[in-house]
Amino acid sequence: MLEIPRKEIYRYLGYHGVAPSTEVEALVGRCVAHLQEVIEPRAIHAVFPLEISPDGMLSFGGMRVSSQSLLKNLDGCVEVCMMAATIGVGVDRLIRQAEVRQMSQAVIYQAAGAAAVEELCDQHNAEIAAEAQTRGLACRPRFSPGYGDFALEHQRQFLQILNASKRIGVCLSDSLLMTPSKSVTAVIGLCKENSTSTIDPGLEAEPGHACQHCGCPDCQFRA
Amino acid sequence: MLVNTVVAQIVNFALEQLDDDTMKNDMRKRLGREWLFCDGGTGTILQAKGLKGGELPETWNLTHPEDIIDLHAGYLAAGSDIINTNTFGANALKFDNVGEIVTAAVGHVREAMRRTGREDAYVALDIGPTGKLLAPMGDLPFDRAVELFGEVVRHGTSAGADLVLIETMSDSYEVKAAVLAAKENCGLPVLATMIFDEKGKLLTGGDVDSIVALLEGLHVDALGVNCGMGPRQMAPIVRRLAEITSLPIIVNPNAGLPRSENGRTVFDVGPEEFAEEIGKIAAECPVQVFGGCCGTTPGHIAREIATVRKLPFRPASEKSRTVVSSFSHAVEIGPKPVIIGERINPTGKKKFKEALRQHDIEYILQQGLEQEECGAHVLDVNVGLPEIDEPTMMEEVVTSLQGVLALPLQIDTSDAAALERGMRHYNGKPMVNSVNGKQEVIEQVFPLVAKYGGVLVGLTLDEQGIPDNAEGRLAIAKRLYESADRYGVPRKDIVIDCLAMTISSDPRSALVTLETLRRVRDELHGHTILGVSNISFGLPMREIVNAHFLTMALQNGLSCAIINPNNASMMASYHAFCALAAMDPNCAEYIAAYANAAPSPVPAHSCAGGPVPAHSCAGGSVLSLGEAVTHGVEGRAADATRELLRSGRAGLDIINEELVPALDRVGKGFEQGTVFLPQLLKSAEAAKAAFEVIKDTLQGNVQQAKGRVILATVKGDIHDIGKNIVKVMLENYGYEVLDLGKDVPPERIVQTAMDEKIRLIGLSALMTTTVVSMEATIKLLREKGVPAKVVVGGAVLTQEYADAIGADCYARDAMETVRYADRIFA
Repeated sequence: MLEIPRKEIYRYLGYHGVAPSTEVEALVGRCVAHLQEVIEPRAIHAVFPLEISPDGMLSFGGMRVSSQSLLKNLDGCVEVCMMAATIGVGVDRLIRQAEVRQMSQAVIYQAAGAAAVEELCDQHNAEIAAEAQTRGLACRPRFSPGYGDFALEHQRQFLQILNASKRIGVCLSDSLLMTPSKSVTAVIGLCKENSTSTIDPGLEAEPGHACQHCGCPDCQFRA
Repeated sequence: MLVNTVVAQIVNFALEQLDDDTMKNDMRKRLGREWLFCDGGTGTILQAKGLKGGELPETWNLTHPEDIIDLHAGYLAAGSDIINTNTFGANALKFDNVGEIVTAAVGHVREAMRRTGREDAYVALDIGPTGKLLAPMGDLPFDRAVELFGEVVRHGTSAGADLVLIETMSDSYEVKAAVLAAKENCGLPVLATMIFDEKGKLLTGGDVDSIVALLEGLHVDALGVNCGMGPRQMAPIVRRLAEITSLPIIVNPNAGLPRSENGRTVFDVGPEEFAEEIGKIAAECPVQVFGGCCGTTPGHIAREIATVRKLPFRPASEKSRTVVSSFSHAVEIGPKPVIIGERINPTGKKKFKEALRQHDIEYILQQGLEQEECGAHVLDVNVGLPEIDEPTMMEEVVTSLQGVLALPLQIDTSDAAALERGMRHYNGKPMVNSVNGKQEVIEQVFPLVAKYGGVLVGLTLDEQGIPDNAEGRLAIAKRLYESADRYGVPRKDIVIDCLAMTISSDPRSALVTLETLRRVRDELHGHTILGVSNISFGLPMREIVNAHFLTMALQNGLSCAIINPNNASMMASYHAFCALAAMDPNCAEYIAAYANAAPSPVPAHSCAGGPVPAHSCAGGSVLSLGEAVTHGVEGRAADATRELLRSGRAGLDIINEELVPALDRVGKGFEQGTVFLPQLLKSAEAAKAAFEVIKDTLQGNVQQAKGRVILATVKGDIHDIGKNIVKVMLENYGYEVLDLGKDVPPERIVQTAMDEKIRLIGLSALMTTTVVSMEATIKLLREKGVPAKVVVGGAVLTQEYADAIGADCYARDAMETVRYADRIFA
């Protein structure tokens, strides 16, 4: 069973380290239990060699990406792992149900769903890291289309390469929204252990919280 | 000369038609009567021939014709009878030359058949999923999906395909769109196979039973399972298929479970092992069509055919199950009485009528969710009112309900157009309420059930009215069964309504109904249904009579009871009957419903199975109204309001002196960062419960709204939780909200603003890609000179962004929107 970290749920609900009331705590507990019944965690990935052209164009898995922020993340890497994860469409129905009956629960399902899919990503990332380690490789922090200047338009090809709609049911709307809503795509750079990015030497091989590498310092959800 | 040419063309055309018909019939004659074999994997073989990851395999029909012909020839030589065209993803979402690709694909199979001397084989027009999730969870409308598939079918049919094979479907709604598209665009046999996971579930949540109900209802020629896993993992699913379907079964597994190796997907089960596992399935289950999917090769298929052919062939057999389904599960009628919730119906319900007129879909959804919670198995949906457009409303209510709850629906209307709209857009096999003995109605309703599938309620009345005796009602029931035969609707899919008429006007009426129930069961071997509460019309304390009549009816064989599941007495009769009649193993459902019930009689209209409302806080001390609101205790807020009203306080006083100050405390706390979103909303809900109580007492003297506000999530955006939060808060602060929903085109927002003379519009957008439609909406509002202010919000918005797209206000959260509204309407 996927453990959904409470701390993250409260972060998404806007509690900046403030303890929730006992009523809210109880409600979150009930919602999480219910959410656990409907989620279907699924994650896939594929590893490809990375090529970086002299002008900084990134090529992996048949994708060509021009992005300074992704280049910074992947610089020094030899391979790229493309991953996609989802907790399924059940949570969307649950949110919709709660929207009709109790909006307070809808926002909790929303937050808990987001926390759940991030947790799934962390777990899947850990498996990828363990596998990479056997080959003497380490993982860079996850980086998703839409972060920095890594254009969201790459989602279409990204999901196609992973065959994500067929394998885990992750599809894309015309406006590039993923469905089910609680789905994530990300690349994970794989580098030789102890090698750092020449562009950003501070970039640790060990994945810290994704927020640390985000360019939105005044975000209300920042960890 | 000219005449000759024309004659020749006509003759040719006739011959082609004949050919086409013989081919079709030939396929239908063989399917399910002898072994037939499909081909195997395509993608894996094409990758070996050089197809790159991410490259669309269908393009090879044009760029690598010889490779494709070669692929087909390999399977023909291995012995496959049904060859899939290379058209899995060939739809207009991915290609602008669908016709060219599909026509070439059919030609390649024909050419391979010619080259291998296998003209006895069949060209299967292969149709895979669109790769999009259908609305409402995704953004592809059902009708658009039918159009997309229809285009493929038309091209495939005119190119000469022999059958349509719909495969690898993981969504019941999408497979329904594909089957309808096939049926509406050709007369070829239609085969459909789904992809399940190891738990026997579709990615969208459906199970084997729900899919079988749906596909049997749609009259496909064969159904089955493909892809996802190897034969060993597939076996339990095939076993279940064989238990429940009356149709021929197709089994097309992968060569084992997929595994990733250097970014490529590989399969480990070789031909020998594959054939051995298939042999085990064939020996155990009556499967009539075998083939393969990802990772399988002509080698796998050849071994499979050799193994299977040695085993005795077993045809499909009739299962005589009466089943309705939703997207997620099936409900079987017969083994145990089925509760059909009657609350979604305007008859005699002032509030419901008002909701229909106001287009308040949320109210209808609430009625549905409450009944689901109280234990209904199926929900009746009736939205007929003389002044509304019933077909449009039926489609909207059906699609909205199935986006929220999992219960199968019973589409209840006497309007044939509304019935068709509801059935067409229903995600599953519905119940249909109803047909009767009148010839005109028979002619309207049966063809729809034959086309879309459904379990049909047949009322025992006709042109002469309602017979006052069982004999007469039975005679009509028999005629309805005969009509079903004529229209190709299975008799098992008819449920006879024996009609409950009030005993207050005819003392024998219950006895007649009960006799009819018994005799339909014993003499016609049919299923029955009743609108139970009609029995007590005109009597006091109706539920006493209703509950006892329900028990009597169940004892006389009633299969489906249309009742109010929120009524505790009715549910008590049902649970007690099931326990007494050995239909509730270990009395488990009875115990679940009543183990925690109070010893005194359960109050009427409270639902036994539902959650216990929290009436006081944990400590047990009684909260004041203000405290109930600040703590967000809904039940207590309503009770406290009632107490205040009883003590003589005026409704408006309570609002102004208790509710508004309490809400303000919470709102300020939220703004200061001491109260957080869940608490804010819980308080809003508690306040709403209090408002409702007051509203009931004001009756007509409803307080004037502070202002009317449009809210909409802009076009392209399908997640509207942010907008819905704002809606709750605005309503709480006394505004009337015109909620236009999500994915709303600019034109509709502009039109509504003009028609309703709106002064404030709230727009929400989640993504940078949809802020574009927000900008377009604002631009159009300004162009049309709509004198309304626009407030915007959403995850990616900032003050700068809002300024750039010309909004009047950026609201960080719901409270800021409320404050802005207060300024505008001050």
